[in-house]
Amino acid sequence: MIKFLLKGIIRDKSRSILPIIITAIGVTLTVFLSGYMRGAMGDMIDLNARFETGHIKVMTQPYLKNKDQLPNDLALLEVSELIADLEKDFPEISWEKRIRFGGLVDAPDENGLTQGQGPAAGLAIDLFSKHSNEIGRMNLAPAIVNGTIPIRPGEALISEDFSQKINASVGDDVTFVGSTMNGSMAFQNFKVAGTVRFGSAAMDKGAIIIDITDAQNMLDMEDGAGEILGYFPNDVYDNNDATQIAETFNAKYIDSDDEFAPIMQSLKQQNGLASLLDYADVMSGMFVAIFVFAMSIVLWNTGLLGGLRRYQEYGIRLALGESKGHIYRMMISEAVLIGILGSILGSILGLAAAYALQVYGFDISEFAPQSNMLMPNVIRAKVTPDLFYIGFIPGVFAMVLGTALSGIGIYKRETATLFKELEV
Amino acid sequence: MNQALRLAYRNLVGAGLRTWLNVGVLSFTFVLILFYNGLIDGWNKQAKRDSIAWEIGQGQIIHKDYDPLDPFTILDGHGNINTIKGNVSPVLVQQSTIYPEGRSISTLLKGVSTNQSITQLPTGLLLNTDANIPALIGKNMSNKSGLKEGDEVLIRWRDSEGTFDATNITIVGIFESTVPTIDAGQIYIPIEKLWELTGLENHASYFIVGEGYEHKEIQDWEFNSQSSLLETLDAMIETKKASGTIMYLLLMAIALLAIFDTQVLSIFRRQKEIGTYIALGMTRGEVIRLFTVEGFMYSVLAVILGSIYGIPLLWFLAKNGIPYPVEQVQDFGVPISDTMYPVFSLGLIAGTLLLVVVSATIVSYLPARKISKMNPVDAIKGKLQ
Amino acid sequence: MKYLTILLVAFFALSFATSQDPDANAIIKKIDANMISNSNITTSKMTIYGRRNDRTITAKSYGEGSKKSFTEYLSPEREKGTKMLKLDDKLWIYSPSSDRTIQISGHMLKQSVMGSDLSYEDMMDERKLTEIYTAVVSGSEVLDGRKTWVIDLIAKVTDATYEKQKIWVDKEKFVPLRQDMMAKSGKILKRVSLSNIEKISGRWYPKRMNYKDMLKQGKGTDFEIVTIEFNPKIPAHIFTKASLKK
Repeated sequence: MIKFLLKGIIRDKSRSILPIIITAIGVTLTVFLSGYMRGAMGDMIDLNARFETGHIKVMTQPYLKNKDQLPNDLALLEVSELIADLEKDFPEISWEKRIRFGGLVDAPDENGLTQGQGPAAGLAIDLFSKHSNEIGRMNLAPAIVNGTIPIRPGEALISEDFSQKINASVGDDVTFVGSTMNGSMAFQNFKVAGTVRFGSAAMDKGAIIIDITDAQNMLDMEDGAGEILGYFPNDVYDNNDATQIAETFNAKYIDSDDEFAPIMQSLKQQNGLASLLDYADVMSGMFVAIFVFAMSIVLWNTGLLGGLRRYQEYGIRLALGESKGHIYRMMISEAVLIGILGSILGSILGLAAAYALQVYGFDISEFAPQSNMLMPNVIRAKVTPDLFYIGFIPGVFAMVLGTALSGIGIYKRETATLFKELEV
Repeated sequence: MNQALRLAYRNLVGAGLRTWLNVGVLSFTFVLILFYNGLIDGWNKQAKRDSIAWEIGQGQIIHKDYDPLDPFTILDGHGNINTIKGNVSPVLVQQSTIYPEGRSISTLLKGVSTNQSITQLPTGLLLNTDANIPALIGKNMSNKSGLKEGDEVLIRWRDSEGTFDATNITIVGIFESTVPTIDAGQIYIPIEKLWELTGLENHASYFIVGEGYEHKEIQDWEFNSQSSLLETLDAMIETKKASGTIMYLLLMAIALLAIFDTQVLSIFRRQKEIGTYIALGMTRGEVIRLFTVEGFMYSVLAVILGSIYGIPLLWFLAKNGIPYPVEQVQDFGVPISDTMYPVFSLGLIAGTLLLVVVSATIVSYLPARKISKMNPVDAIKGKLQ
Repeated sequence: MKYLTILLVAFFALSFATSQDPDANAIIKKIDANMISNSNITTSKMTIYGRRNDRTITAKSYGEGSKKSFTEYLSPEREKGTKMLKLDDKLWIYSPSSDRTIQISGHMLKQSVMGSDLSYEDMMDERKLTEIYTAVVSGSEVLDGRKTWVIDLIAKVTDATYEKQKIWVDKEKFVPLRQDMMAKSGKILKRVSLSNIEKISGRWYPKRMNYKDMLKQGKGTDFEIVTIEFNPKIPAHIFTKASLKK
């Protein structure tokens, strides 16, 4: 029976192509939109994750307690070993070292004497490793105003406003003056590779971004890092995984008597993000429900239309003596098949689109008045497990419901009037 | 046209459930677009309102040497307040360090008028107290420093000559504000106290301007208008809108798909009708118009239906607000309230209306073009497949 | 933190000045005789107690009067070759790693040095105690088994970094054993403890000092004189910017 119906559906274009296409388009839209909403609702959280919290973050316990004061004297040491362990235990996560620091940036005149000087917030990230995705994560490329992203050690990015204030442009040397992890004075020259716009007034006033290895050398933090941030594949946060990983990791150190033992926190545990995260879940869930509902109505309608489309055919079949029940059951079976085919197709397309949007993101910076680092100007979708089945709700159930409703009409038809209706 | 409208209406209502499903989805889209944009507009409005109420007032008069974002300018960025008259409230900013439980936290010490009413800062709390140096802090600051109402904390500062001084201040109140920039790392004490502590008698770093103040050029002071101070806020919120656009365009596509599908079918099924219309002397253009008008009617019905449930719903939300969790979203510098009140402007409603009507009409027109290619004789026989 | 060298030298300079108070004046004059010299060359060792580890930095300093000083860091490797020159109210720092001479000036002078509780200005305030404070002997106490005079210093100028100080002076050796620096309110902000008093070139001299920020937790910083030479002749070129880069 199913085989027969399938053949019919495949061979008889007029009864299959349009409904399947409509179903597939509808399901594609639903799946994609749901994925998009899951991503878009979390943009504030995403911003936090990218700049501060990671999806999971490892610090020393005292660093955590004083983290507002950038306490690099309490930073993690021997991080290569730590990261190797982390990579072994949690291979799917990318681990990134970061150092936050503060100090003075000084620009010399032609005689090497101070020409401009100002306090700067510093951030060191992995700019050069091939495996690292920090440049994209920090949204550096679109935020560049002049120059380029550093390509070799000893190069730095500074904020655009700051570069004007201290009179240092791209290609100039500036000297960072700060204190090392141990409290000694740190001096380091950097070539300004580019200037960036952060989008936060405080950072635009004075900030410098350098490579992590440069920072380790400069701040006397050999194999050290203030924070190690962990990011899930494609930068999509999963709270269950994060909680699990943090628990597993922290369990290893629970009996450690080292004052500087590492501690891991999930994104949700940081910066008061828990409520925001829950809220984003609820909101995106709500939006997804709305889409599914709307699409169900649309496909329900498609089901209704499908019944109408074949009004004549059913008339002839009734006239030929087929029982009403048989036609009705066949209609439903066909609808189920069309729904499943359309839903599978639509889910594949929708998932593919959502996945593409998750991996590549959609850059809206061109539409934004001014690009900067702190604006969520790349929109990403998030492929969640529910996307794999969510399309079938409108695709199969709504479709079948529509067909079932329109099919009831069959029972109302009188054989006597059939031929008149059909005008054969 | 009148006839076309009437016919279209009858056709649609005659189709029963199918029509109402289409109309339902379209109305839903309509309401959702309104809701989302209203929410963002509401956020924008609230953020601005709060910034004005807590921080900006009707503008600020800032000493020419003071730059709120550059701590180096605090030292010299203040001047005598006697040159400025009118409804203004002076603020003197000084650097300080507090020592809660042996930790040290750098803070901005702000002297404010205790009797000011230009901002919502509850400066009145600084008046009714026996504390030697009463101080106000924000909730964020309270969380980060661990200071609670009634706590005393050691604060160290330098007077105008650079001499160190240190004493205890008493936290007499903790205010809750949606504006992060007036909270983080800041302590508010009566300006007279700060004058006394620093020797900067009658000095201020900036003024917050109240209603009715009219600025005339004053030497050493620069006036920043309210709108110039709100610029960055606007830019931030605009990008929020962009990401919402994608969402409702997709939702719109779903609704339009339904109309498109319906139109394709009705043109297929109603060939005889079309043939008859033409046979009766209607031009093809008129028939196309009839079908397009049907599609247009969808959007009209959708707007009516949307209004029936949308107006009360959106009105309710605009009145009662939508809870939004904010604890430390604060760090990003945009004021977010714990309740968001959507705002539905006339422009927004009209724009959305236009969008829905125009797109529904276009989508109905597209399949209807097929009519122009029909042979009326075949059509009337129903022979087109 | 290592600029404590200069700071501490500065405090000495303050401590050895004379006072108008007859009693206090006599005491301070005797301190002067021990501690003050027109010029000096010092090799010092500074130990900073961190939360994780302690570090020791050695430096050689040249001082002449209260306006000129020059310091070169000798160890550890990281600090080696870093030089600081102070002339009047100007401060330059040279680092060999960046081959840059950076002037710390203007408003920066009032900012804290690398997040510590010392501003550059603190480090540079070398006015004599008599210029800043009125001294009064307020009593005598036994401190660390030594009999001391307790002398209260109250600022007579408006721009003193500390409004008040209290110093404990050894009654026999006329060397301060403790120095408390206080805010206007009387709150103790910083304390210097001096010990290991030895006779060098006929003077009593404290070879060890502990410097502590009283508002913070921690052991503070130890400062130890390895060698000190009083009134040597220091070539003038030392106190020029050219000597920073050498």
